[in-house]
Amino acid sequence: MQVVQTVFQADEVSRVFEPARGTIEKLTDRLTGKRPAIVQAVDRVSLSLAQGETLGIVGESGCGKSTLARMITGILPVSGGTRRFRGEDYESFLARRRDALKVQMVFQDPMSSLNGRLKVGEIIGEGAVVHGIVPRSRMREHAAKMLERVGLAADSIDRYPHQFSGGQRQRIGIARALAVEPELLVCDEAVAALDVSVQAQIINLLMDIRQESGLSMIFISHDLGLIRHLCDRVAVMYLGRVVELAKTSELFGNPVHPYTQMLLAGMPRISTERRTFMPIKGEIPSPLNPPSGCHFHPRCDRATDHCRISRPDLREKGPSHLHACLNA
Amino acid sequence: MNRAAFAEFAGRFSESWVAVASLVVTVLFLACALFAPWLSPTNPYDLARLQLIDALKPMGSPQVKPGEEIRANFALTQGQLIPEANDTDFEVEACGANCFIVGLADSSAQLMSLQLRGLPRDAIVDGASKHPIQPWWTLNAPENNQARVRFENLPADARVEAIARTDNQPTGFIFQLGSDAFGRDMLSAILYGIRISVFVGVAAAGSAMLFGTGLGLLAAWRGGAIDAMIMRAVDFTLSFPAILVGLAILAILGSGVEKVILAVVLVQWCYYARTARSLALSELNKEYIEAARGMRLPAWRIMLRHVLPNCLPQIIVLFTLNIASAISLESSLSFLGVGLPLTQPSLGMLIANGYEYIFSQKYWISFGPGIVLLIMIVAMNLLGDRLRDLNNPRFES
Ligand SMILES: Nc1ncnc2c1ncn2[C@@H]1O[C@H](COP(=O)(O)OP(=O)(O)O)[C@@H](O)[C@H]1O
Ligand code: SF4
Ligand SMILES: [Mg+2]
Repeated sequence: MQVVQTVFQADEVSRVFEPARGTIEKLTDRLTGKRPAIVQAVDRVSLSLAQGETLGIVGESGCGKSTLARMITGILPVSGGTRRFRGEDYESFLARRRDALKVQMVFQDPMSSLNGRLKVGEIIGEGAVVHGIVPRSRMREHAAKMLERVGLAADSIDRYPHQFSGGQRQRIGIARALAVEPELLVCDEAVAALDVSVQAQIINLLMDIRQESGLSMIFISHDLGLIRHLCDRVAVMYLGRVVELAKTSELFGNPVHPYTQMLLAGMPRISTERRTFMPIKGEIPSPLNPPSGCHFHPRCDRATDHCRISRPDLREKGPSHLHACLNA
Repeated sequence: MNRAAFAEFAGRFSESWVAVASLVVTVLFLACALFAPWLSPTNPYDLARLQLIDALKPMGSPQVKPGEEIRANFALTQGQLIPEANDTDFEVEACGANCFIVGLADSSAQLMSLQLRGLPRDAIVDGASKHPIQPWWTLNAPENNQARVRFENLPADARVEAIARTDNQPTGFIFQLGSDAFGRDMLSAILYGIRISVFVGVAAAGSAMLFGTGLGLLAAWRGGAIDAMIMRAVDFTLSFPAILVGLAILAILGSGVEKVILAVVLVQWCYYARTARSLALSELNKEYIEAARGMRLPAWRIMLRHVLPNCLPQIIVLFTLNIASAISLESSLSFLGVGLPLTQPSLGMLIANGYEYIFSQKYWISFGPGIVLLIMIVAMNLLGDRLRDLNNPRFES
């Protein structure tokens, strides 16, 4: 067997958000002994990604996918846990700014992810120029090359983002990421805001790029069909935790966690309409005040008293099939 | 901003005729400020051209050139009147025994008066009135600019002086807005006053914008203790009335352009700091900032090249509003006598100069600069309000 190199590894990374408190509020909190409401957006998530692999992350809105994506990209610091890039600790990796470009991200919102005051050429070329990958004199040329690579006309460099459609803007966002020669591309719901027909074009573009350059990818979506189509392995998230992590065929063929099973049961077979989640029964609990024990227990029909008390850790079901259910 | 967006913006702007009018007025004032030396009929600060005779003239009065005096001395000896030295301004003619006609050689312009001094007591000057005490005979509006002097007897020897006075001459220049106590043309003084007020206002509001925006961006970027310190300083500044801060600064430091600018900066920086901070905080939440972070751009570059340009429209709107308030603060301080030095009279100082004459019906000295200041500030405020409304989607109906 060939030795697979691990590109990225997250070990029990967590992220909490505290509400912004002023000095006076902090003081009164301390005096009254009140603890401010905190959101545990990501709760001890462990992942790893092999060279050339595509990992899918799926879950309902608000379950912490974007927060996890931002921690992987290094845009957001972690509250706990460690991240590694090719075995190197992330803090020292991020400190070498030019190397840190190897992890890039494609964002969800094609409107707000491009700075409307800069020309497309500047948006795409800025990173490469600032880090000395290309000299400023060759920025336009570089940007034009990237635009052609994502299927846009080279003369788009002198236009502004608002002159493009949503799909074209998403291509610009992809070109921006490609312009600094990344090794890991994190796509956070990169097509969720687009029309179905345009989605397919963007997905094809991403697949082409992956094939050409051997990029490793983390593909975040709530579209199960897309995940199945694109990914080698899939992580299912629920309220900040990974509840199941397996090879795509394994996860779709033999789901273990009750949450995954419910998701897949709601997935339409015929892919004519938009293949997102069917709403599953029960309300999504507030991440401000998550249920005790297994977060899923208020909606789970297999829940027992034990589930309400103890937190299920990831355990192995078969070879490289992990899940977090006490009763599976 | 690109062309299409600008056209759209201009279209929405021109929906309000008040806004268009205030834009026109503001542009006119800016033009006055820039071109005052070329627009103004006189240079009001050329002291050599001021004459006391023009002081306090009402609107529409003509400027006059004061009359001149021509003097000559004569010796009266043995019944003869002989000019001393080679004086050619006057001519003396004999008109029989003990009779002389003294006249100006050049009789083209009618003299106002011709006075003869030092004649013996028994002299008779036709048509003249004699000074009750002094031996001075004055002939008003002398015919042919001549005076006829007669003596009954042979006159005693004397030294005679003739003084010809010409009348005041209108120069053709009209004081359209009257003149002040120094005889300065108020129209010119107002144009120069606009120039000084606008320059000080723009420089002061601009300095406040640079300083305040910088601190606001710093607060938004660093957060934490630095943010708290800057924002408490903002609250502190806002709790004092502007005029009080201005008076305190100038009372301590003395008057001067740079001190007025400092006062305005200390009064206004907080508005920019507060606005820039809140705008920057909302921009920092947007995905393009995360993209810039993902590009590992240095923080200063993210703040200046990505955040700042997106905050700039609102900050410029604030700037247009604050120019007006900087001008009015400077004018108030100058009116109170602590603002600009006397050598740089702004509109406020012009108003103050006229203040002491207002109750003697010489209203025009304060009136002109006052109206001009009022119109300028109202126009700039209306313009700023309109720009603010257009920038703020919530105001759209
Ligand atoms: N900057 C933030 N400040 C406070 N709470 C946040 C912030 N970002 C995300 N959250 C909270 O963290 C949770 C997870 O959000 P997110 O990662 O965006 O979920 P997803 O991308 O899966 O929809 C949500 O409850 C959200 O409200
Ligand atoms: S641990 Fe219990 S509640 Fe959670 S999914 Fe499994 S059975 Fe359901
Ligand atoms: Mg998200």
